[in-house]
Amino acid sequence: MTLFGSEPAPAVWGVGRLVVDGSVTPWPVSQRDIDDEAEAAVAHLASLGVGSGDFVVIVALLSEAIHAVPLEKAAGVLDAKYSAADATAMDATRTEYLVNQLRPRAVVGVNAAVIAGLHEHGREPGDVFAGVPAVATADEVAWRALVDAGLAPRRWAKVGPTSALECARRSGLHLDGERWEVDVADGEVVVTNRAARLTPCVRLHAGFAGSIADEPCPCGRPGPRLVPADPARRQ
Amino acid sequence: MPRAELDALQAEKLFGDLLPWAYDRSRLIRDTWDAAGVTPDEITTFAEFRARAPFIDKNAIRRFRKEHSDPYGGLLCVELDTPGVFSAVFSTSGTTGEPTPAPYAGRGPSMLTREFWEIGSRPGDYFTHMLFTFRGPGIHDTIRGIGATPIFLDHHPGDVAQLVRFSRELRPTGWYTLSGPLILAIESHAAETGLDPAEAFASYRGVVCAGEPLGRRARQVVDGWGLELFVQTAVGDVGAATECRGHDGCHFWEDTAFVEVLDPDGTDAVPDGEPGELVSTTLIDKVAPLVRYRSDDLVRMTRAPCACGRTHGRVWPLGRKGDEVVVDGRSVLPAELFAPIESVPTTKAGLFQVIRPARNLDRLRLRVGWTGEGARAAVADQVADAVAAAVGVAPEVELVTYDALLRQGPPHKIPRVVKE
Repeated sequence: MTLFGSEPAPAVWGVGRLVVDGSVTPWPVSQRDIDDEAEAAVAHLASLGVGSGDFVVIVALLSEAIHAVPLEKAAGVLDAKYSAADATAMDATRTEYLVNQLRPRAVVGVNAAVIAGLHEHGREPGDVFAGVPAVATADEVAWRALVDAGLAPRRWAKVGPTSALECARRSGLHLDGERWEVDVADGEVVVTNRAARLTPCVRLHAGFAGSIADEPCPCGRPGPRLVPADPARRQ
Repeated sequence: MPRAELDALQAEKLFGDLLPWAYDRSRLIRDTWDAAGVTPDEITTFAEFRARAPFIDKNAIRRFRKEHSDPYGGLLCVELDTPGVFSAVFSTSGTTGEPTPAPYAGRGPSMLTREFWEIGSRPGDYFTHMLFTFRGPGIHDTIRGIGATPIFLDHHPGDVAQLVRFSRELRPTGWYTLSGPLILAIESHAAETGLDPAEAFASYRGVVCAGEPLGRRARQVVDGWGLELFVQTAVGDVGAATECRGHDGCHFWEDTAFVEVLDPDGTDAVPDGEPGELVSTTLIDKVAPLVRYRSDDLVRMTRAPCACGRTHGRVWPLGRKGDEVVVDGRSVLPAELFAPIESVPTTKAGLFQVIRPARNLDRLRLRVGWTGEGARAAVADQVADAVAAAVGVAPEVELVTYDALLRQGPPHKIPRVVKE
């Protein structure tokens, strides 16, 4: 495993942001970081059933580019195609439109704003996503809204500079343990990079309240899983 | 490039490549040309093209989409599942209706490298990437294509504080894009926090403003912040046109598009510099090519040499043909309403909509964003008087909150014309 600092700093691919110690902080990443995260995200998308010829709709904000772009690139690795909508109430009907037009295999990143936006336009989120085989939500409000609508959403969470995604067994959110080390401090997941990253993080509070499950997942994928703190959130 | 060489290049691209390609592969183009009784091999000069090539428009695309259950409106020339071609399908803003899916086969930087260089960004600089919707790698690859590093920010009022912070800390030189609603949000943030935008934005050498034309007041506000604004407008869905440092019209790139300006109600070209409808033909898009696409956009256009030295033509956006209303025989376009509405202090943001159930109206009805200050009836009267003085038509004015209009988005503009 290459450690950061042992070779010249790669060019900065872009500057995203993370919340560090409660405040928004610029977070530069390199092209290599993005490519490496994309490699990790392949397993995420594959677990949603995304494969060759499929569409995946990625719902995100531009400020979330360091999390969303690896998913876009991972779609390409799987020979799938992606489309994008803003994770805002204003753009919620674009998500609906893309679902109707492209018939995606998966939608990733539906959040509370999108749910609110659909309601504002008189749409029932349960109806909008009923025909999508896999929907991954980005927060609790969206997850609950879809569960209440009779759907079975997965959870997708930004965890520091990386992200985690629930598999079909819904036994916690998978995170790439070869690239990231996770632990819990004060009830919150903290994350440390194992693989080289332009901006290193050491026990960075990831904004995810819960615990770590290390035992093998019923799905067969190795590595740690993040288990949300509130058992009521689990199906 | 000298004009004659540019003309020759256009002819070579259009008649030797794009036209036969589109006719052979796009069902909408083939159906349209067959219905007109024309084939590309009969068209070898621009005179013949202008005289015989049939038009398409957004309605034709939508109609084809509906009739054939084809999301791409019959334009697609390459099968979507062709290995290694497409990575994504994006979509247009959808301001005038449903978004249009746009298959993406791009690789690397786009033509916008020319604009980003022109506004003054250079290798090693930071560049504020604040596009209004998150649509794939085209823009951030372009920013990196000039050697700059994108800073990702949301085109949203809620992200203005981060825009200010990142601008101060990273000192970016370029900014893509600013818009009327975002200017309003920055003004509001400055009023609440005491921010001096001129200090916060001092590092920028140029800012691209897109979405819709700004009113005079908004321009003055941005000038006061010390920002050099480069207006960008669409070229009939085949590209973008952006101001150069001469700020005398938006250059469209004639090695990528053939542009005509025609009588909005006919097919004759209007003289250079006269208002007309922009009709565009791509010279480079072989995925979903638009050929003689009537954009509904009203512009003035010239191919006269620009002070900047470019030979490529320039356009000045005037509005949309479908936005015009006629009240008692008087034509009114939304662009004419900015100045009078901005002149009233409590409606100075220039947020307004024309209620247009039909083109011909007995009465001009306006929905106008208002700060909430002052007596409603008095403000409505002030707006009505200002509009009547400016355009000669006394409107009926309904005042609403800014937010009621801004929420109708997309975030970089609001629908200026609505049916109800």
